[in-house]
Amino acid sequence: MDFLQNLAHGMGVAMSPINVLLCFAGCMLGTLIGVLPGIGPIATIAILLPLTFGLDPTAALIMLAGIYYGAQYGGSTASILLNIPGESSAVVTALDGHEMARQGRAGIALGISAIGSFVAGTIATVVIAALASPLASLALVFGPAEYFALMLTGLAFAVLLARGSVFKAIIMILIGVLLSTVGPDLTTGQLRLTFGAVWLADGIEIALLGMGLFGIAEVFRSLEHGEARQVKQTQIGRLLPGPDELRAAAKPILRGTLLGSILGILPGNGAVLAPYASYTLEKKLSRTPGRFGRGAIEGVAGPESANNAGAQTSFIPLLTLGIPPNAVMALMVGAMTIHGIVPGPQIMTKMPDLFWGLIASMWMGNLMLLVINLPMVGLWVKLLNVPYRLMFVGIVIFCCIGVYSINSEPADILIMAALAVFGYALSKFNFEPAPLTLGFVLGRMMEENLRQALMISRGSFLTFVERPIAAFFIVLAIVMLVVGILPSIRRGRDEVFVD
Amino acid sequence: MSLLKRDAQGPHPAIRSPQNFVAGAFLIVAAAFVVWMLSGLPQGTLRTMGPAMVPRWTAIGIGIGGAVLVVLSFVKEGEALERWQLRGPIFVLASLVIFAAMIRSVGFLVAAPLSMLVAGFGSREVRPVELAIFTVVMTVFCAVVFRGLLNQPLPMLILPALSIQF
Repeated sequence: MDFLQNLAHGMGVAMSPINVLLCFAGCMLGTLIGVLPGIGPIATIAILLPLTFGLDPTAALIMLAGIYYGAQYGGSTASILLNIPGESSAVVTALDGHEMARQGRAGIALGISAIGSFVAGTIATVVIAALASPLASLALVFGPAEYFALMLTGLAFAVLLARGSVFKAIIMILIGVLLSTVGPDLTTGQLRLTFGAVWLADGIEIALLGMGLFGIAEVFRSLEHGEARQVKQTQIGRLLPGPDELRAAAKPILRGTLLGSILGILPGNGAVLAPYASYTLEKKLSRTPGRFGRGAIEGVAGPESANNAGAQTSFIPLLTLGIPPNAVMALMVGAMTIHGIVPGPQIMTKMPDLFWGLIASMWMGNLMLLVINLPMVGLWVKLLNVPYRLMFVGIVIFCCIGVYSINSEPADILIMAALAVFGYALSKFNFEPAPLTLGFVLGRMMEENLRQALMISRGSFLTFVERPIAAFFIVLAIVMLVVGILPSIRRGRDEVFVD
Repeated sequence: MSLLKRDAQGPHPAIRSPQNFVAGAFLIVAAAFVVWMLSGLPQGTLRTMGPAMVPRWTAIGIGIGGAVLVVLSFVKEGEALERWQLRGPIFVLASLVIFAAMIRSVGFLVAAPLSMLVAGFGSREVRPVELAIFTVVMTVFCAVVFRGLLNQPLPMLILPALSIQF
């Protein structure tokens, strides 16, 4: 029960008044931006990231964790009230959540999603605490070849998860890897693909990618339809579910938590899969599957819990192996690097305050959402009533401020603009930006590990086959790619949305 | 089979998936451009990889992917090109350029309202008076929150003639 002691130590760190305040501020701001339609957690964190630069490392990460959970909650609010999911995982919440809102049960849907998220967050926190040490010691036997193979598996998994064409997803990953090579070569320091421009000499910030591809590009897309959406005098109603509703939601919450916790640990953004998996499972287990899509509370409780548990356990690959499994975690890496922290197995031993404080603050962030943020739902609804013709102007200026605050570099705003045009073009040609971000996130690390692995093996690719762990991951990656191409499985995955 | 069906309806175009064709062609051109840009950098050997190794082979991979898309566009039925709505992007991009150009030279209190005013016209439903009020409110709000409360390094107003800079 060593980890419980550590967790208690972490609580001590996270509970200091200033950290509690920062966590709360993070939750509030995260919800404020995250609730804006079309702005998912990636763009939200990218916009708010600079706010944490001035803080000490522990406080900064605690505030970021607050922002993250706030952003998640804001996203759920937007998809329940407006049926505009900010990110793909909120799509599932919108199915039954929005239906509940139309029946005048918006409050219950929001309430159960906050309660489910809190339960999921609590359990996932314990899971992280329990798994962190063993996984970190496992990471110590990993060499460059194993790391490279593991990241390859992550990318293969991302291809498997991508919606639409598998082939296009692979191209997206390659483009992401290519974008990650812009800037200095880490070994020789030679500049690559910078057009000789000083402002590209450090490469492209992941935050710019987040705001360009997911923030501004979404504004472009939304402006096409004009003022279609409105919060139609939605009655929020009571927030706290009654005993019957709680009983109906209890098991879905627990099952969702379990699913989400497991999927979140996988490299390659398995967390994205969690809400879909949970929704499918609940529909299969239900005695009355016909209610799903017509405002079934299980269809909100399960996926929301799964989503939150997955969001939380996706910290595990980052904190133990140093591999960010998705764009959100890559932003966390960005924040850590600014404070001189290199994510990886050494954090736990070298900076126990930071490590356990962060993990404890995840739980605290969830509690904040439930106790403080949920009652303020009226405020967020008011915000959603702002017509889009004004709201997008706000989104644009938030992105400008966010970008400028990172490096005080106006040219970064132009890079973001270029990425936004690119993102808009991607949607016009039915390419999905999510695999691109993962390729971008892992690209640099993969290059470095590949280089080191080949240096050790004297240029022989056999090293990836001779080393058993590496070989295992390579085989896994190939299996996943094959599975991704098999049509029957792809059909099964799309079935969730039928009827 | 599908080929016959099409012929029955009339002459079918050579390119059956314009979307894939354009995307593929673009990828080929972009990949070629990247390879050309990298031409001055050493690739190294597998044992000691040079700076150009990964980007070059990634670009070649993208080029091959583009070629496959182009070939597929002749073989497989696909979607037509989607329409681009230019109004939104043009105004928003202009507003981004304005913000980038002015934030350092005149400061946030001028750059923000100006760029917001321009961005607002990206919506077909723009109402100028409402927009003007909104930009003023937002400028004050952002100045108070980001500079005042959160202490972000945003230059607020720079007027060299009056030697104002804060």
